[in-house]
Amino acid sequence: MIRIAQISCGPEYSGVQGELEKAAEMVGAELIFPEVSLEDVRNVEERFGIKVASGDLNLAMARATRIVENPDLADAVFVATCFRCAEGAIVRSEIRKYIHENSRIPVLSYSFTERTTAETLLTRMEALVTTAKFKGLLARERQTGLTAGIDSGSTTTKSVVMRENEIIGTGWVPTTEVIKSAEAAYNAALESAGVKKEEIEGLGTTGYGRHLVGKHFGAKLIQEEITVNSKGAVFLADAQKGTATVIDIGGMDNKAISVQDGIPGTFTMGGICAGASGRFLELTARRLGVDITELGKLAMKGDYRKVPMNSYCIVFGTQSLVNSLSAGSRPEDVAMAACHSVAEQVFEQQLQEVEVKEPVIMVGGTALIEGLPRAMEQLLALKVMVPKYAQYIGCVGASLLVSGLVED
Amino acid sequence: MVKVMVYPPTSMILADLVERTGHEALVVSKEVRKKVNTPGLDSPPLNMTPEDPKKGLKYAAVDVPSGVRGRMSLFGPMIEEADAAIVIRNDDCTLGCTGCARTNELTRFLLKTKRIPLLELDYPEDEFQAKQFVHKIHEFLEGLN
Amino acid sequence: MKSTKCVVTSQDSDVLPSDIALKIYELGREINVKETCFGVIIDGEEKDINATVEEIRAMDPSNIFIKDRGFPPGDPRRCRGHRGGGARPGFYMMQHESEILPLISRGLASEARGEEAPSQIETRKRPSLEELEEMIKEEFS
Repeated sequence: MIRIAQISCGPEYSGVQGELEKAAEMVGAELIFPEVSLEDVRNVEERFGIKVASGDLNLAMARATRIVENPDLADAVFVATCFRCAEGAIVRSEIRKYIHENSRIPVLSYSFTERTTAETLLTRMEALVTTAKFKGLLARERQTGLTAGIDSGSTTTKSVVMRENEIIGTGWVPTTEVIKSAEAAYNAALESAGVKKEEIEGLGTTGYGRHLVGKHFGAKLIQEEITVNSKGAVFLADAQKGTATVIDIGGMDNKAISVQDGIPGTFTMGGICAGASGRFLELTARRLGVDITELGKLAMKGDYRKVPMNSYCIVFGTQSLVNSLSAGSRPEDVAMAACHSVAEQVFEQQLQEVEVKEPVIMVGGTALIEGLPRAMEQLLALKVMVPKYAQYIGCVGASLLVSGLVED
Repeated sequence: MVKVMVYPPTSMILADLVERTGHEALVVSKEVRKKVNTPGLDSPPLNMTPEDPKKGLKYAAVDVPSGVRGRMSLFGPMIEEADAAIVIRNDDCTLGCTGCARTNELTRFLLKTKRIPLLELDYPEDEFQAKQFVHKIHEFLEGLN
Repeated sequence: MKSTKCVVTSQDSDVLPSDIALKIYELGREINVKETCFGVIIDGEEKDINATVEEIRAMDPSNIFIKDRGFPPGDPRRCRGHRGGGARPGFYMMQHESEILPLISRGLASEARGEEAPSQIETRKRPSLEELEEMIKEEFS
């Protein structure tokens, strides 16, 4: 049973403690509360470096020092404070950094509201447990044998077939009905690889539809997209040694993952927001009357500064773009403004919560829209790489990891 | 017999001094007792649900963190019932129900502006201060009769 | 309605938790008693509990303190053994206040004897600017 140390302030009074416990149970973990004495809480400034006005935050910092001093107490840490509490956000961020810098224990940081449910937390909890439990599997660098992966995403379903560390077949379809789309993508990948389904030694599934698809195909590995995508990204970018940062802007949400020696560590996942994902770019392309695959090239000729955007929200953001077009703005500038808006949101939210270390790898279908990585480069002032097969990182990661299970 | 809210509302010392004088002490454990004895609720550990921060909207706006509003759903009714209050100024050990500084600030503010008899004092550090502490509280409570 | 209270003895008290437990048994009311490091936790119908606490307090009025508790003793929703470890926040507060219980006890005893409360001690005045200048010259010469 994986032990996740809960370091928090406020969930009991927000009525969500039960949801945290449910999420942990769903991923086969239990929440524990590291023991600290009253003296530990009183002396927190000496040991952690600061004491704040809210007692429960001081208790949280005392618990963090306890874990760092006794790393055997827990396999992972979940730090959580109320959304919109400044004191809480500052302390939470410092606790995350403190544990990351002083131990090898994976940390998940989250700010909850009274509306937080176990389902909201599930993917994050799964990823946390995976990084704690499957270090050996996650350290895998080569794909062996003949395996396949299916990434059942909210917008598109992708599949790859791999043999002896090479991608030999790919399939890509828009997601309509989850199982049908998975079958279509998988069949396309098998056909392009020239292999039959029966020859595949192991299948891994990921994405929103991973459980349904995994069950349907009898997959050997069903894994959330945080660990799988980051694994696929560093594999494709040939960045499995040293540090790396993976930015995955998907059809509906976005993630940022810090990777060390090929193993995913700290990660954050944005809440579902159309304005900070591929959805906004889709809408922009439609409005400009271009195919989504052409939006990137158009954006590369544009200057985002010529189109003021008043809001990150897809509704109001689209309004801004439409107003600009009516006022005579060039489509190139509008395209780039849309890319910049999405990149900036991810920069301001997710990328403040992980240590951004080079190489920075952008993945997912949106990474192929050239304006988006360019906008991210401008914001980070760092080179951003988009590896070949960037849209397939999920299924590549799944195929790579499942080959480890097949070997065993 | 008067209802006296104590701050911190978890204080054993204040609650005891109030009750031994024959008044009723308003303490948060009584609110917690109501919650944990409510049938049909199963929300560990205190049986607080997402409805409680919504009840707390009476005292704090929606953009105030849920932990504040949830705690205010416990403290608010106590403040409303209070005919008098005793407030400790140097409350150093504030954990759990009193673990949120913003909630504590709001509670003290609401008690002060309620215009009820209010006694403010510090926890004593020596015998001398302790005798003054007990005497002041005793005098205050007797004066409420 | 059921009610639960903690009975806490100050360190200066001669009354032991076991003495309190015995007294409760002698009273013969339907009350559960659980001994703890601070004293005892008692649990039962509200009217029985209210009547009992007066008699317990009478055993040593200046050194016995009574506190309400939300949960009945051993409730698995709150018990550390069932809930992943770590002390309940209420425990820290009791520990914190227990440290000054002997002082409060002396205050109560003094009050019970009808002694006059000590008058306000003169608070130290802030030094004037000239006095402060003198101190600085002395220290840094």
